[in-house]
Amino acid sequence: MIGYVVRRLGQAVVVMVIVSIVVFGILHLLPGGLVRAQLGPRATALAVHDLTVQEGLNKPLVVQYGIWAWHALQGNLGFSYKLNQSVGSLLGEYLPRDLLLVGVSMLFAIAIAIPLGIWQGYRRNRVDDHVLSAVMLIFYSMPSFLLGVLLIVVFNLWTGLLPSTATNFGGSVGNDVQVLALPVLALCLGNVSYFSRYMRSATVDNLLSDHVRTAVAKGAAPRRLLARHVLRNSLSSTMTLIGLTLPYVLSGSLIIEALFNFPGMGLLFWNAAQARDFPVLLGVVLVVTVATVVGNLLADLGYAALDPRVRLK
Amino acid sequence: MSEAAKRVLEVEHLRTEFHLRAGTVAAVDDVSLTIDEGECVGLVGESGCGKSTTGLSIMRLLPAVGHITAGKVMLGGRDLVGLSEPQMRAVRGNDVAMIFQDPMTSLNPTTQIGVQVAEPLRIHFGTSRKAAMDRALEMLDLVGIPNPRERMRDYPHQLSGGLRQRVMIAMALTAEPKLLIADEPTTALDVTIQAQILDLLDRLRSELSMAVLLITHDMGVIAGRADRVIVMYAGKIVEAASTPELFGTTRHPYAQALLESVPQLTTSSTDRIPSIPGHPPDLANLSGGCRFAPRCRYAEPACIAAEPPLETLPDGHLVACIHPVGLAQAAGAGAAEQPPAVEVVLEQPESLPQAPVVDAAARRSELADAPLLVEIENLVKEFPIRRGLGIGGGAASLKAISGVSLTIRRGETFGLAGESGCGKTTLGRIVAAHEYPTSGTVRIEGDELLKLSRAELRRHRSDLQLMFQDPYASLDPRMRVGAIIREPLMVQGVGNRRQQWERVAELLNEIGLNRRAVDLYPHEFSGGQRQRIGMARALALSPRLIVADEPVSALDVSIQSQILNLMKRLQSDHGLTYMVISHDLAVLRYLSDTIGVMYLGKLVELGPSASVYANAAHPYTHGLIQAIPIPDPKIERAKRSAPVRGELPSAVNPPSGCRFRTRCPLAQEICAELDPPMQVFGEGHVAACHFPLQSPTDDAPPRGITVAAPAAVS
Repeated sequence: MIGYVVRRLGQAVVVMVIVSIVVFGILHLLPGGLVRAQLGPRATALAVHDLTVQEGLNKPLVVQYGIWAWHALQGNLGFSYKLNQSVGSLLGEYLPRDLLLVGVSMLFAIAIAIPLGIWQGYRRNRVDDHVLSAVMLIFYSMPSFLLGVLLIVVFNLWTGLLPSTATNFGGSVGNDVQVLALPVLALCLGNVSYFSRYMRSATVDNLLSDHVRTAVAKGAAPRRLLARHVLRNSLSSTMTLIGLTLPYVLSGSLIIEALFNFPGMGLLFWNAAQARDFPVLLGVVLVVTVATVVGNLLADLGYAALDPRVRLK
Repeated sequence: MSEAAKRVLEVEHLRTEFHLRAGTVAAVDDVSLTIDEGECVGLVGESGCGKSTTGLSIMRLLPAVGHITAGKVMLGGRDLVGLSEPQMRAVRGNDVAMIFQDPMTSLNPTTQIGVQVAEPLRIHFGTSRKAAMDRALEMLDLVGIPNPRERMRDYPHQLSGGLRQRVMIAMALTAEPKLLIADEPTTALDVTIQAQILDLLDRLRSELSMAVLLITHDMGVIAGRADRVIVMYAGKIVEAASTPELFGTTRHPYAQALLESVPQLTTSSTDRIPSIPGHPPDLANLSGGCRFAPRCRYAEPACIAAEPPLETLPDGHLVACIHPVGLAQAAGAGAAEQPPAVEVVLEQPESLPQAPVVDAAARRSELADAPLLVEIENLVKEFPIRRGLGIGGGAASLKAISGVSLTIRRGETFGLAGESGCGKTTLGRIVAAHEYPTSGTVRIEGDELLKLSRAELRRHRSDLQLMFQDPYASLDPRMRVGAIIREPLMVQGVGNRRQQWERVAELLNEIGLNRRAVDLYPHEFSGGQRQRIGMARALALSPRLIVADEPVSALDVSIQSQILNLMKRLQSDHGLTYMVISHDLAVLRYLSDTIGVMYLGKLVELGPSASVYANAAHPYTHGLIQAIPIPDPKIERAKRSAPVRGELPSAVNPPSGCRFRTRCPLAQEICAELDPPMQVFGEGHVAACHFPLQSPTDDAPPRGITVAAPAAVS
């Protein structure tokens, strides 16, 4: 088990090295380059030359990557000239907010989707199942930004219940709850439909399985069947899906953050991309990579915890 | 049956319908039966005859499309059909319990077995957790689970199939039900384990004086265990009698034909097994009359005019047939032995290839001169198992095959027997070049398989074909039958398009299917027909060797014999060589010239099948043969107890010395110390045992086998 986690983390390091090489390469192949991005189109050739040498940009790409990686290993992810702050401190500032947004929306999605899916599976092909399926299909087929806009229209413009921007996040707890409500909803409703659909079919499969028939033959009532013989078995397969969805939620939050002006990593990334703030871009990409790997690892560990047949080797 | 015996179950005129897209189907039609306390009633028939549906109807466990539309199920003075669902829940697992066929899937994989066994008590009696677990422990002990205390916390996947079925039984009996419905309880298990489980059920039945409804397709199992037998066909009861009566004087032509088509240990390889032509009727489109008439050898016009009623004959049999077998001669003395077969204008069942008539002596001498096709020498196959960190740590491996040598002559049928997990399938895969051995050599016609280049191996593959167990899983459901059979020809680039299609037509003809089959999909065929299609595919490239892995074990008995006869026919027409892998020794007896018995990766006995069956030298071979249920109550009841004890040990750490010693009744100290060498027990017959059941002879051993001198060990 511990060996498994260690090995998986080892794989994660390899993945991160490869991702960083690819991203590093792409960023440096972009026309204009880092120097022009910093000095602007009107800078003199001399100034450009000076900065190029100073930044080590005249060295071969491989060497540049080596230098960046060496610094990164020491915890130095570079410095953002645009924001005049180290990348490390930027991430330290933006990442926790993101984790809160993504984490809360994932928790909500799971907490709603699992009971919903089990209920639908149990009531399969009846009226309530069909109605719920139809509603979920609407959420599923809607891109998150459209959902976000709709939520703003309903809860802000029409009823004025909730604020439409999250610019002032970080005030009091009460304020934060209000501010987060719409972005969290926009992020989680799509996933609710996704997860519950999956949970529904896992429940249906399990209800038809031999071991559930055995439980019925023992005299188990529906409540017992669902709680003891279906929930855990259906969860284990849904777990994988949830883990795999984590990076999508993280990247999906980019649009939601822009829409609600939420000061998270999505917004940071968006601004950095427009300003060609390469060190920040690289830093964010690395964080997303870590999230992907960690999400997968958590899914596998969760799966193993739920299903005793899975032995992690 | 004494008057005092208490009636437990009384099913009266039960009718269960399934509402399907094709229409409403009565899967169970007017079925009545009774079971008394301590009695075991056997319900037998082929798949689709309604025997399982009868069991599920009693439990009211029918799938959503199934409904009981008529009849009563009386249990303890109550009609279960009329109970509400909550009332029924109080009955299930409490008054009636059921065990199912597949112990692999019937237990909850994510719950400890102790908890599962305790569950009925928690449900029905609200027993405290601790008391229920104590009782579960007692039950696990009662059903013979070794070290039950440690096993309580195990999950189902940590147990073997046999142990899981014991857990199922423990679970079913925790609440001490009055009636146990056992639906094919041993079909998924090895014969050795089957005998143990059936013994266990017998013992518990008398200890708890339970009523048991034993549902099975296996006439042998019924013969040994049931007090009374009910035979079902196409949803109806066709014959019912006490077990000795039914096997002694079978009255219904279907029951008779079913019994005849079971290959038996006494069936030699030169006999022909009769098969029942055609297949059971489609219940959605019944044409009226006797449902068996289209397949019946005695059918006459009266049979299709009206459905024969189920009537009690003077000798006590309940039979639904106009002219019960054997009664004609009883009435009119000196009449023909059997009623004459009347030619009836019925839909002619497809013509089935018959097994050729073979002269045993001629075949033996012919094979003795045949050149060697397969030579296997000292074959070893180990599958590495990673443990812990997987770095440097455990170099454990699963020893699937540990030094097997054998030869197969051209035109011969080599039968490979053994329990599941003995390595027989792996050996078959290696011979068919689908798997590489860890060491040792495999030569096909003198060419060493391992030394061939990729291209040579590809060409060689057309000579080596596989035939699979499951005719449902081994044909691509999205390909038409024509394309399935043609595919090997395309892959190997044999002939042009036209020639390939001609070959497909020729193959279909050989397996006895209509040419129209080319445009149909596999699901439009029955299991037996699909297996024949699989056979045609294997034959397409005119291979030299066909490795058939359990070719008939997924089929009903009446269909089995069709395939077995077809295999023999094709062998004699094309000079095919077969390597048949099967757990069913009766099937092997019928097909094979030579037989090899494997135990835990080792070949323990090898020889001409007549010699091996008649004079088994190895206690394991003897036990395997003994364990086969024979459809004859006298023989079955004379057997004392399961001939092979315990379970197959782990192939990761096989026992030292003789691997069978942990389960052998004759084992002594030397068996743990020394791996027994092969000794000769007749011409071409060898076995590896320190205490063989026969005395060694000084005949010549089979080619390629090294033996100890007879005098060396004695």
